[in-house]
Amino acid sequence: MNATRAPSTDPKSEPQAPIVIQGAGVGKTFGNGAVIALEDASFEIRQGSFVSLVGPSGCGKSTLLRLIAGLIDRTSGDLTVHDKAVDGPHTDVGMMFQRATLLDWCTSLENVLLPTEIIRKPTKADKERAAELLRLVGLKDFLFAFPSQLSGGMQQRVALARLLQTGADILLLDEPFGALDEFTRERLNIELMRIVGEVRATTLFVTHNIAEAIFLADQVFVMTPRPGRIFEIVDVPFARPRPLSIQTSPEFNTLVAKVRDILGEDH
Amino acid sequence: MSVQDYMAVKAARTGTGISLRNRRILIHAGIFIALIALWEISSRLGWLDPLFYPRPSAILNSFWLIFVVNGNIWYHLYVTLGLVFLGWVAGSVLGVGLGALVGFNPVVRRFLKPYVIVLEATPRIAVAPLLIAALGFGAPSKIAIIMLVCFFAPFINTLSGVINVNEDRLDLFRSLRASKMQVLRKLVLPDAIPVIMAGERLALTAALSGALVAEFIQRDQGIGSLILIYTRNLNMASAFACIFTLTIIGFLIFKGMEMADQRIAFWKNEPGMKRVSDRRRRAMAIGG
Repeated sequence: MNATRAPSTDPKSEPQAPIVIQGAGVGKTFGNGAVIALEDASFEIRQGSFVSLVGPSGCGKSTLLRLIAGLIDRTSGDLTVHDKAVDGPHTDVGMMFQRATLLDWCTSLENVLLPTEIIRKPTKADKERAAELLRLVGLKDFLFAFPSQLSGGMQQRVALARLLQTGADILLLDEPFGALDEFTRERLNIELMRIVGEVRATTLFVTHNIAEAIFLADQVFVMTPRPGRIFEIVDVPFARPRPLSIQTSPEFNTLVAKVRDILGEDH
Repeated sequence: MSVQDYMAVKAARTGTGISLRNRRILIHAGIFIALIALWEISSRLGWLDPLFYPRPSAILNSFWLIFVVNGNIWYHLYVTLGLVFLGWVAGSVLGVGLGALVGFNPVVRRFLKPYVIVLEATPRIAVAPLLIAALGFGAPSKIAIIMLVCFFAPFINTLSGVINVNEDRLDLFRSLRASKMQVLRKLVLPDAIPVIMAGERLALTAALSGALVAEFIQRDQGIGSLILIYTRNLNMASAFACIFTLTIIGFLIFKGMEMADQRIAFWKNEPGMKRVSDRRRRAMAIGG
């Protein structure tokens, strides 16, 4: 097993949602081809689905995310978002990083309003929406707090609200809770699942934690390094949202073992 | 904090009846009075030459003379502080402006770097006589000297503040399709404010020294000239009074900058955040 598998075409009872992100042979090299960050990535991501990208450092998961966001240019292949080829940053996606990257001199509310402020002067309705989103992520009492007054987990909640404020229907999350402690991360994962379900967003979630990847996703892109590639796409059959207890079920652990096998096989 | 708490508890236990804070003030005052008394007594007993080390009582008398009876220091104070202010503003504008320009332009940065290093290695005050030769005696050359000594800290700090922008934040702004101007106004400059303020603090202190050196050289007016004249006339008590006046001014400048820093870079201190947070909450409430 060493070729990239074709995207999942499992027949489901319901009609399939439209494809929103499509990659065909997407590659990215740095330094005039000296470093292959990502090679021959082919995949389809359907509207409203949750995709985890899992793999060790250097497997190209962050590169793939940044390619989809248009922050870097691919060196080969075709990549479309909403049937449009990606050429530079675009407003269909919103990004979230491992560190909350909040502006220290802005309150939670102002931080959430940033995406709007880049486009126009925020109206009263914009402000109300931002306040509503902060309520959605459980921060209704911290609208006027500054980032340094918030815990790491709360800062990421603000970042999540800001991401939702962009109105983008595709959320790109680059290890968003990776710097938080285990308990906070687990709680935020549960909330993330609820929230993306509520706003019906298509979500790409980068992580190096196998259980987390499976727990959250409909599909797991298992990625391997040197060169970075999507080694296999694993479907997760459980309906979302899921209870934490699913992680102790035999089916779940079979999937974990499967992904671990794939990752272990290659290095 | 914990040490203070411990001491407070201890004080409470021993039951002195005086709060920790008041006790500290008493101790400080006691040490200060003892030092002054020691100085006065040494001078009266002839251990210190009163010609070069005037007695505290004589210095106090000089304060009275130059501030109240003759009132001659006010004009010089006004001249010096005016120069300090003008030179500092000019030097800061130049420093912050050039720092931002160089910070934003990698090419300019590369070719400018050797000159910056040379300029940094050269004691700026050494150039003062040349500036006077070029600009002549008077205020312009003095301001130029002050500019020169206080340009560097804002320049370097602005430069480093602008260069060290967090990459993730930059990605965030790019992914939101912010314009270059928006990145500058909403991210880079606010982010650099605390470090720029630190540079301004250094610059203002340097500006005061620069003004004194300029006045020492030109010997026409200002506190620097006044100190020089009093020393020449062996009126050391008045010279000391001038020096202590500068001490007080230096302290006020330091405190003033500290307060300005806390207000401007409000997100770096808890009271500042509380003040702005409350204000924004009210603004939102009024706005609907």
